[in-house]
Amino acid sequence: MTFIRALTGACAAALTSLCTFIAPAEAQTYPTRSITMVVPFAAGGPTDVVARIVTAHMAQTLGQSIIIENVVGAGGTTATTRAARAANDGYTLITGHMGTHAASVPLYPKLAYHPEKDFEPIALLAGTPILILARKDFPPKDLKEFVAYVKANSEKVNAAHAGVGSVSHVSCELLHSILDVKPVGVPFNGTGPAMNALVAGQVDYMCDQIVNAVPQINAGTIKAYAIATPERNPSLPNVPTTAEAGLPKFQAQAWNAMFAPKGTSAAIVASLNAAASKALDDETVRKRLLELGSVIPGPAERTPEALASLVKNEIAKWTPVLKPAT
Amino acid sequence: MADTMGHSATANRNTSVVISFCLLAIAPQIFEFIWSFGTMFGWGAGRGPAAVVIGHGTALLAGGPGALLGAVGGDTKKASSDVLLALIYSYPIFAVAILTIFMTIRSAQDYVGGIALLALALFALWASSDLQGMRGFSFGAGTAPRMFGGLLVALGAGIALTGLLTDGPAMAHYAWRGPLFVMASIVFFALAIRPLGVVVTAFASFMIAAMGTHETRWVEAVIVGACLTLGCALLFPYVLGLPMPMFPRFLVQ
Amino acid sequence: MFDIFHNLGLGFGVVFQISWWSPWWLYGASLPISINILMCLIGALVGTLVGVLPGIGTVATVAMLLPITFGLPPIGALIMLAGIYYGAQYGGSTTSILVNIPGEATSVVTAIDGHQMAKQGRAGPALAIAAIGSFFAGCVATVLIAVLGAPLTKLALAFGPAEYFSLMVLGLIFAVVLAKGSVLKAIAMIVFGLMLSMVGSDIETGASRMAFNIPELADGLGFATVAMGVFGFAEIIRNLDAGAEMNRDLVQQKITGLMPTRKDLIDSAPAILRGTVLGSILGILPGGGAVIASFASYTLEKKIAKNPSRFGRGAIEGVAAPESANNAAAQTSFIPLLTLGIPPNAVMALMVGAMTIHGIVPGPQVMQKQPELVWGMIASMWIGNLMLIIINLPLVGIWVRLLRVPYRLMFPSIVIFCAIGIYSVNNAPVDVILAGVFGLVGYWLIKHDFEPAPLLLGMVLGPLMEENLRRALLISRGDWSVFLTRPLSAVLLAIAAFLLVLTVLPALRAKRDEVFTESEN
Repeated sequence: MTFIRALTGACAAALTSLCTFIAPAEAQTYPTRSITMVVPFAAGGPTDVVARIVTAHMAQTLGQSIIIENVVGAGGTTATTRAARAANDGYTLITGHMGTHAASVPLYPKLAYHPEKDFEPIALLAGTPILILARKDFPPKDLKEFVAYVKANSEKVNAAHAGVGSVSHVSCELLHSILDVKPVGVPFNGTGPAMNALVAGQVDYMCDQIVNAVPQINAGTIKAYAIATPERNPSLPNVPTTAEAGLPKFQAQAWNAMFAPKGTSAAIVASLNAAASKALDDETVRKRLLELGSVIPGPAERTPEALASLVKNEIAKWTPVLKPAT
Repeated sequence: MADTMGHSATANRNTSVVISFCLLAIAPQIFEFIWSFGTMFGWGAGRGPAAVVIGHGTALLAGGPGALLGAVGGDTKKASSDVLLALIYSYPIFAVAILTIFMTIRSAQDYVGGIALLALALFALWASSDLQGMRGFSFGAGTAPRMFGGLLVALGAGIALTGLLTDGPAMAHYAWRGPLFVMASIVFFALAIRPLGVVVTAFASFMIAAMGTHETRWVEAVIVGACLTLGCALLFPYVLGLPMPMFPRFLVQ
Repeated sequence: MFDIFHNLGLGFGVVFQISWWSPWWLYGASLPISINILMCLIGALVGTLVGVLPGIGTVATVAMLLPITFGLPPIGALIMLAGIYYGAQYGGSTTSILVNIPGEATSVVTAIDGHQMAKQGRAGPALAIAAIGSFFAGCVATVLIAVLGAPLTKLALAFGPAEYFSLMVLGLIFAVVLAKGSVLKAIAMIVFGLMLSMVGSDIETGASRMAFNIPELADGLGFATVAMGVFGFAEIIRNLDAGAEMNRDLVQQKITGLMPTRKDLIDSAPAILRGTVLGSILGILPGGGAVIASFASYTLEKKIAKNPSRFGRGAIEGVAAPESANNAAAQTSFIPLLTLGIPPNAVMALMVGAMTIHGIVPGPQVMQKQPELVWGMIASMWIGNLMLIIINLPLVGIWVRLLRVPYRLMFPSIVIFCAIGIYSVNNAPVDVILAGVFGLVGYWLIKHDFEPAPLLLGMVLGPLMEENLRRALLISRGDWSVFLTRPLSAVLLAIAAFLLVLTVLPALRAKRDEVFTESEN
């Protein structure tokens, strides 16, 4: 194990010394040692995968290794609290997502940080579209029928979700507030068990991120009504957007973005942003993110300012939806 | 009955059991009182010692009559958490302690064990008293804790009852040296691992734990402790790649 | 039938794929090596190490090693992770038997009779039979995955919330049956465990329950924390009691043969067989299947034994059956992953993560789309089991020799290993202190003749039981009759009721004789 790790370490060190040697002294002063990237979810989860793909490329640009630290607990808020309190020297960063940096505000009244006040936004990394999914023998055939059916039978239908505060939970709450219904939400312990119940037909529908759903949809074990993004997704060309299918108000994406603790200097933020943006332009990075069904932000969406306004808008969007639910 | 010696011994035993039950009844309050001194020095959150004493004192003394009056007067004002602790936890245990005076305990092991479980269940009931109960057909956050808390109260009482009705072993003998030093070693480890790193902490904890028995031979313990520390320092951070500090923080910087 | 041979051939072909390695120090010559076999070996070794070290769980290790596998080819990476997973199942029994510390929920029952055997100087046979049973179960389960994987998937889908709840009830009844002493006390311990499992945030509302605003309690008490406490630390503290030296010295002198005798093998053969069958079936069920399998097989052995009182006092069947069951379950729990693409437990979820990072998103079609991957993994399981028995049988001698180390040196070492292990799970010092507190609780439990095994089972199954009860009632809109109208659920509840009556009746007639004869040593 460690041989491999030591080997990569040695390579990285060699590369670093080479880079520092070549790079002009005045241009690269910031990363003089390795950077810690906190990921508030378990290794292998959607956020972790995005963070790893992007940081691997960023490390090459910055000439320093980026160590991913997975800290799990309390819907990601444990790790986010820790990152908010870390030194603002640019050596501790966090890859947050919609839950930790927006939905957590109304969900956890005792939250120990505020996404806007305690963080410097760096860059938006990727968006993961959300789909409306249902068990394969659920009566409605398309989104219009689905809306009518759920409205008519809101006492009878069951919506699965992967636990309070999960993407599937908050996005379904948004859907329900748009439809003005309050069906029974059946909580599961993570996306896996929820998907299992949907495949087995024990629950009627759920809203979930595209990553987990594509293979099931392709195999016909579940069906998808619509994708809640402005455009169709290349991995599911046959699934219409919510706008096409007649529910334009339902727009939701699980986004991943990089933040630094408040007070990190503007120069550091700028160099990190440039590195992240360069990574998102890289051909292999793009290919791997697209394979996951992610939407890669365009150049205008990658700036720290754009991320700051995204966080602001998202908090404003989720607060009324989630406040009455808790 | 003829065996007066035995009888007085039981009576003696009962007094100590009663006293320990009374202490158990206010154990959470005492714990918070001790804890509150820590908050004065800035670690841990909570009330100051004076506030704790006043809060629990009034709750214990006036809580019962107050609640009784409130119930009579139809006053549905929500009782404070201190009062609830007194009502749900302390009063029933005091009642049990008083009852114990009049009992003949035939198996102290079962009786004390049952009452301690009962206390634990009451404490859990208090801890979950602020949670929501049933909402229509769906369970609230507090439903299951209350269900199992109630069940544990019944089971604890049942075990205590067997202790009164059937003969069984008396209280076992407790040693103090082993628990004390093993606990000290664990607590030291927990407090020291972050600031002092694996090397210092593991060795020091080893030596503290080794004090737990009179069999320890010190030269031997130091050698084994050093080897073990070396082994741990290689095994955990390097072979298994666990992220943990190796040396004291002040030495590294 | 031909298909299976074809597929297995494909799998073994993948595993034995030879690549030529020409390091510089051979000056141009090449060595044939198989990367996948190497990965399998590394995985098995790391898994054994992780299983043996108390506190460090499989989930934590796989999570830690996951990033390293990103640089490997996907098949090699998955073979290695799978190796860690079932390697830990082999290794987990070692600490249970030697020092009464179960590293995983699945080896809690092994500790009951395994540690008693060690105390009687029969640690060698106990360890050996655990390895042999695991090997047999692993082989059978691998064949089962290959032949019946697809049809067995239906079982995983047939289990809804109502069925799970009934299964959990049955599991808790098993915990009552396996207790040695008073039934009342065993039930009380289960409920105590259930209470402990409620600490943390509520699944449905996210409300914090009994956590007293301690951040480390927000996600509940960890299994490792409680298990290390009530088993590990409590055992140490108890052994330090005055007068306990005598017993310990006796143990060290008594050590007899290393390998099981002929009689041991004859006694445990049917137990291994039954354990394998139970484990294979229950392992397919996502979540808790493996734990219930180990308890169920122990209960079964105790119930059909001619002399049930031997159990809890070093019966070799009490080691053979649960160890076979948990290893069989560890293998068959791959079925939902390989056929549905849905991870049934935390380790599998991490493996899905590993696949995702390599660009393979597993789904129902993974068998058709990635046959090399699926069959390569299945073939590697068999090879992994073979490696593990080759690694483990010689190790038995070393472990048993470890028991000869004087206790005055052994116990501080165990304390340190446990402390580091618990700390490493979440990097949380509070966890270590909590484990210490549970050590005192465990010591108190021993003094009052309460057994810790039902407590742990209650704690592991508690969340599953509560969640599924609530889910079932949500779906049925509060109608409790679902548990009886759904046939599978009704059958499970009927078995549970039958077992409970069988256990409680004699206890009602007369307080069990065992309570009096029992002198806890």
